[in-house]
Amino acid sequence: MNPIRDEDLVLYHYRDGLDAAALAGIAAALDASAELRARYASIEQTLARVDALPEPEPDRDFNARLWRKLEPRLQPRAVAQRTPWLERVQAWLSPPRLAFAGAACALALAVGIGFYAGRHSAPEAPVVASADAAAARVLDAYVAAHLRATEGVLMTASNSDSTTLLDSNRELAASLVESNRLYALAAARAGNTQLADFLRQLEPILISLANQPASPSIEPTQGLRDYLRSTDLLFQVRATEARLDKPAPRKT
Amino acid sequence: MRMANDEARWVARAGAGDAAAFRHLVDAHSAALFRVCARITGDKALAEDAVQEAFFNAYRHLREFDGRSAFSTWLHRIAVNAALGEMRKRNRVEAALPEDDDATDVLASALEGPPGPERQAQSAEFGRDIATQLKRMSAIERTAFVLRHHEGQSIEEISTTLALSESASKQAIFRAVKKLRGVLEPDGVQA
Repeated sequence: MNPIRDEDLVLYHYRDGLDAAALAGIAAALDASAELRARYASIEQTLARVDALPEPEPDRDFNARLWRKLEPRLQPRAVAQRTPWLERVQAWLSPPRLAFAGAACALALAVGIGFYAGRHSAPEAPVVASADAAAARVLDAYVAAHLRATEGVLMTASNSDSTTLLDSNRELAASLVESNRLYALAAARAGNTQLADFLRQLEPILISLANQPASPSIEPTQGLRDYLRSTDLLFQVRATEARLDKPAPRKT
Repeated sequence: MRMANDEARWVARAGAGDAAAFRHLVDAHSAALFRVCARITGDKALAEDAVQEAFFNAYRHLREFDGRSAFSTWLHRIAVNAALGEMRKRNRVEAALPEDDDATDVLASALEGPPGPERQAQSAEFGRDIATQLKRMSAIERTAFVLRHHEGQSIEEISTTLALSESASKQAIFRAVKKLRGVLEPDGVQA
């Protein structure tokens, strides 16, 4: 093993990823070379600095807080059926649902402002233009965030072979189907037919990802990879996302 | 051995739907899971969400735990994926911080204490630089490094956890170490 690279010294430090002969070769070279020993000492010093960092510790209430959030999610179905109405309301107000409800309300507000602006465009042009632009910006921000999440789902589905990752990816895709439909509808109502058409084009892909088998065989994953390679879908998602993220005021 | 047997009993009871048994497992492992998630995400709030997701996923799949690995190993693997999942939700997986970012993370902020002698100050400065450098890494680099350095996982295990080839896992660790060395010797790191 000559020359010995820093990468080899990192593996030597961890005694990992090198066979016995390579380990012995590096040990002998370290004995023989002061320059190599200095390089190795520098790596060890760096890693010692990392060890000297304080460990991130949870605060004192962490366990109680964790259990408070976790316990309602662990209720077996049989118990859930008998849950009093107050607990059901509390469960409905859990953060993911609140987030979705918040997004839906914001979207409804944006569409409402747009609708109002459209109805009253002639006599109050400057105010209407401003309200219309604000509505469009709200919609753009939500759709851009939605497309970022969609891009992540597509990337994971096409690049990862981890069953656990694919499981959570499937759930994420399922959660995106409904919002994708909502955003397509909002875009169509706001008169942005190009965006609405693009979002409708995404729906079958999200549905198919949401319904992938729990332990996907190689074929469906490869099929998706081939599909993404043969189309410019990912590029379109990124391009649309970038366009919506642009801070410049829209001309509508 | 006794501890492992005790834990196996708690796991079996939790798997049968005993919430108190599951709470015992949560209390026993939450701090360790928080540490690994905080190191991966560099953010306490994200780490907390990740720990919650990890325990929820573990509870749902408890019956699939076959005992071939230690329960803590199984749990940590779920937590790593949960941490990456939380970062993905917030689009932080491949986003490294820009070079001029002055963000403080959970590790850097932990270093901030009352001013001391010069040596301590210099040491704290190195620590802050290292913590910032850790935050600037891509999530894959940081996760691979955390798993190798702090969690003691082998490159083979890291490859399985991150669904990467062994070569890609090694490269991620090398890049992480190289970036950290840049803090101590800005001009002296071998290319």
